[in-house]
Parts: sequence; structure tokens; C-alpha cells
Amino acid sequence: MELNKIISPVLSIARYSTRKILFNRRWILSLIIAVLVGSIMGYAATLVDEPLDSGATLLDVLILSFIMPIIAMIYGSSLIRNEIEDRSITQVIIAPLDRRIAYFGYYISLAFALSIIMVLINLIGWLAFYAQRGMDGDSLAILASMCLVSIMGSLAYSALFLASGVFLKKPVYFGLFYAFIWESFIGSIPGAISHFTVRHFVRSVAAGWVNYGSIGTYDGSPVSVSIAVLVGITVAFLVLGAIVFDKSEYP
Amino acid sequence: MSSAVPAGNFKPPVIQASFLSKWYGDVIGLNGMNVIIHEGITGIVGPNGAGKSTFFKLVMGTIKSNAGDLLVFGQRPWGNWRQLSSIGFCPDYEFLPLDMTGNEYLRFLGGLQAMEKNALEKRIAEVAIIVRMKKDMDRKMGGYSKGMKQRLKIAGALLHNPKLLLLDEPLSGLDPISRRDIIELIKSLNRDYGHTVIVSSHVLHEIERMTHSIALIYKGRAVASGVISEIRNLISQHPHNIILEGKNMAELAKALIDRSYTYSVGFNNNRNSITVKVTIPEEFFDSMPELVEMTGARIERMFSQDDNLESVFKYMVGW
Repeated sequence: MELNKIISPVLSIARYSTRKILFNRRWILSLIIAVLVGSIMGYAATLVDEPLDSGATLLDVLILSFIMPIIAMIYGSSLIRNEIEDRSITQVIIAPLDRRIAYFGYYISLAFALSIIMVLINLIGWLAFYAQRGMDGDSLAILASMCLVSIMGSLAYSALFLASGVFLKKPVYFGLFYAFIWESFIGSIPGAISHFTVRHFVRSVAAGWVNYGSIGTYDGSPVSVSIAVLVGITVAFLVLGAIVFDKSEYP
Repeated sequence: MSSAVPAGNFKPPVIQASFLSKWYGDVIGLNGMNVIIHEGITGIVGPNGAGKSTFFKLVMGTIKSNAGDLLVFGQRPWGNWRQLSSIGFCPDYEFLPLDMTGNEYLRFLGGLQAMEKNALEKRIAEVAIIVRMKKDMDRKMGGYSKGMKQRLKIAGALLHNPKLLLLDEPLSGLDPISRRDIIELIKSLNRDYGHTVIVSSHVLHEIERMTHSIALIYKGRAVASGVISEIRNLISQHPHNIILEGKNMAELAKALIDRSYTYSVGFNNNRNSITVKVTIPEEFFDSMPELVEMTGARIERMFSQDDNLESVFKYMVGW
């Protein structure tokens, strides 16, 4: 098969969906969250003694542990499901394109858009904090590590929540349960049970790269294992989602 | 198996459905449908809920049949995404992204079809002319009228120059001028551009303006298919219900009973209204002036219960 017959439709879906994600009304939600993170971190910068530790802790608690799964849930679970519900999925389903490849196009757009949003939120939080407390090499390293970890987390969460949109008719309920109960609550319980969350492996990678604050002392899994698990989660949900998307009917 | 094709067409069928069935839980979409559709324009006519859209979705492979067999260009459509390059589909529902311009939307569709950039731009310009939307292609679709949206949906279906075009209720919700324009466009798509077009509607006379080959679908079955005139003959062999309202209806009823075309006569809720069941409606209507004069009846209202398509289908299935 000619490569263009795959690349062109995938890029077409990715461009179309990215535009939908980034420029629909939900950008206001992302903006509010970014402003909130900036405000909290900006205010915190005036209060704390150890800027490197405190800044890293805030980025961990606010973004990695809380905001990332929620934003991923909001965008991911609705992306394909909304198109199935309003039947705009028809234009993709009736294209001469393997549906599994089309699904990959949706994934690219979600992962890309989510990565951009998370990097921007990290950047705003970091600027609000470190602009007041000194933007040195160490703080830049924290930003770079948190952005990289956020991108890895975005890739995994995108696969998980995008798949929920094809597995379930009401993925938002699953998403709410997963983001708030499983990731936030179960993920906070000390002990091995917290290891059954994406958050644990995202934070474990961050713990290997950042030596400051709560994330620097996080007792996580080894970085290589965590990366392998995140890649495994991403691939597994991508494959499962693509199979279900391919075999589903679209009345 | 019924065939929506004039006699003498020996080309292989475009679509061949044998005992095709589809149900959604307890709801039956298609129920053992048999139909053969050849090149040209074919009208799929049936009341709402008859199974027209279900048939199209099966042809497109967006849903899977529960029983029976369906061949499109000799191949089964479910899971056969390669075949979709030969088919263009214009659904009956709204799904256009209203924040995009017509050009942007067609570029998106062209990308899905893996069309090369220069060829795509050329083709977009061509289809914009075909559907007479050239001037409006740079406008956001949110500002389009219903007719313009319909044209753009057809443009989207045409973009990759498919052999087969499926247009599901393309006239639905349009004003008379837009209807006329779309009818002309559909005829032109076959006559001037060689597309095989299958168009659905629940209005028989609209389909008649486009084609003489039709398939009548009712409750998930193709109850008849072929040339419209043949189907009309079939319909006219069944008794027609005609309601007459006015004064002195009893005398008129007595006179009607003696006529050879009368199958039965009965009073409705009062003596000013009768229902006449006739086997040859043309003779009934021809004889009415004479009967009115003879009986002194004063007819205030006369209408057929069977003018609607639902009644036609009831005839066809023997109700």
C-alpha cells in the first residue's frame, strides 16, 4: 500500500481533531486552569523558603497528580464519543481508510493537543513561581523534566481515555470515576495499591529526573520500569481502542 | 427477486440484496429485503422508518447485516473499506462542522481520500461548480442555508468522483426552489457525469421527477421495484378508499352500489359522509358528474384516503 494513502488521511484527521480540541469552547476551561495554576504558584512564591523544592512540589501536586488526568479525561473521553453521538464520525467512517488507522489519527490529535496544553500549564505555573524566585539552571531543569513527564503522561492518558470513548456509551462517568476516585484517591493511598494508577508511573519517572520537593523524594518504581509500563499502557489501549473502533457499527 | 431496472439492461448489478435483514435490538430496520439495482438513477421510496437509511448504511458498511447477503459491485461492504473509494454518501442528517468554510471542509474530505494537493484543489473547484456553490466556498458553513448545506454535502460525496452516489433524503426540509435545483443536479450527475445515483425519498412524485426506476420499501421490505408505470399499474389493481361528504349521500350511496367498479359503500360517523371502495378509480371519477346529477347529491368534499404513500405500501403488502 502506498504510504501516502495512510499518512494523508491520518494527518487530515489529526489536523481536523486538533483544531476541534484546541479551538472549541473548552479552551476557556484550559485557560481557567492555567490561570489558577499560575495564581496559586505565583502566590506561593511569595511565601516559601526553598524555591526549588516548593516549586517542584507544586508542579507535582497541581499538575502531575491532579490536573493532567482531569484534562485528559475531559478531552479524551469525549473526542470520538461526541462524533459518534452527533454522527459526524460518518465522514471518517465512509472514507476509504482502515478504521484502525483512522483511530490512530484521533489519538495523534488528542495526544498532541493534550501535550501542548500540559506544557503550557507547566510553563505558566513555572513562570509565575520562578520569575519571582530566580530562573536559574536548576529551575529550568525542573521545568524541562516536568514538561517531558507531562508529555509522557499525556500520551498514556490519551490512549486510556480515547479508548473509553469507544468502549463506553457514557465515557464521562467512567472518566470521572477514574480521574477523581481511582487516580486521585487510590493513587494517594500509601502502599502497593497506588501502583495501579497511571499517576504512579508518571510520578516515578519524574522522581528519577527531578531531585527537589515531594517528587524528588517520591518512593516510586524504577524509571526504566515506569517508562516501560507507560509505553505498555499506551500501546495496549491504543490497540484495544483501534480494534473496538474497527469492529463497531455506526448507525 | 425484484429488480429496479428497465428491461434489457444486462450489465452486472451495482447492488444486489438477498433476504437482507438488520435489526437494532427489538427494532427491525430491514426485514428480508430483496432488491437488485443497476446503473442509472434509482429511487428508494418509502415512508419514514421503512428502512431506507438502514439500507444505505449497510451499503456503506457502517453497519453490519444480521442476515441475508448484500453485494455492492460484487463485494460485501462490511469491513471492506477499500471499496469506499467507489462510493459517495450524502446522509440525511446534519453533521457539517459549522465553524469551517466549504473549502476547508472539502480539503479535509480530500485528505481522507488521500487526494494529492493540486488534484484536490482542482477537484474542489470542479465540484463547487457542479453543485453551484463556487461563490460561497470561502464562507463559514454556519451561515449556509439548508439548501447550501445540502449542496455541500453532495459536493463532499462527489469529491472523489465515485462510481456510485448514495443520496439519503436529499430533498428533505428544502424549500421548493432548492428542491427543484437539487432534482436537476441529481439528474445531471447521472446524465452529464455518469454517476450511478441511488436517491431515497418518502415522496413518490419527487422521485418521479428524477427517475423511472424505483424500489418501494415498506417496513424493511422491498415490496416492489421496477419502472414506476408498472408499479402504478399494480397499485391501481387494488381497491381505493374515497371519502365523500355532503348532502343526500344516501341516494348517492345507492347509485354507487350498482356500479361495476364499486367494491363496497359504507356510511361513516353520520349520514353526510360515506366511504366508497372502488376497484377502478378512474371510472369512478369519470362517472361522478353523472351520478351527482342523477341523485341530486351535493358534494362538499371528496378525497382519497390513499393519496399518501403509506396507503400505497399497505396495498403492496396486501393490507
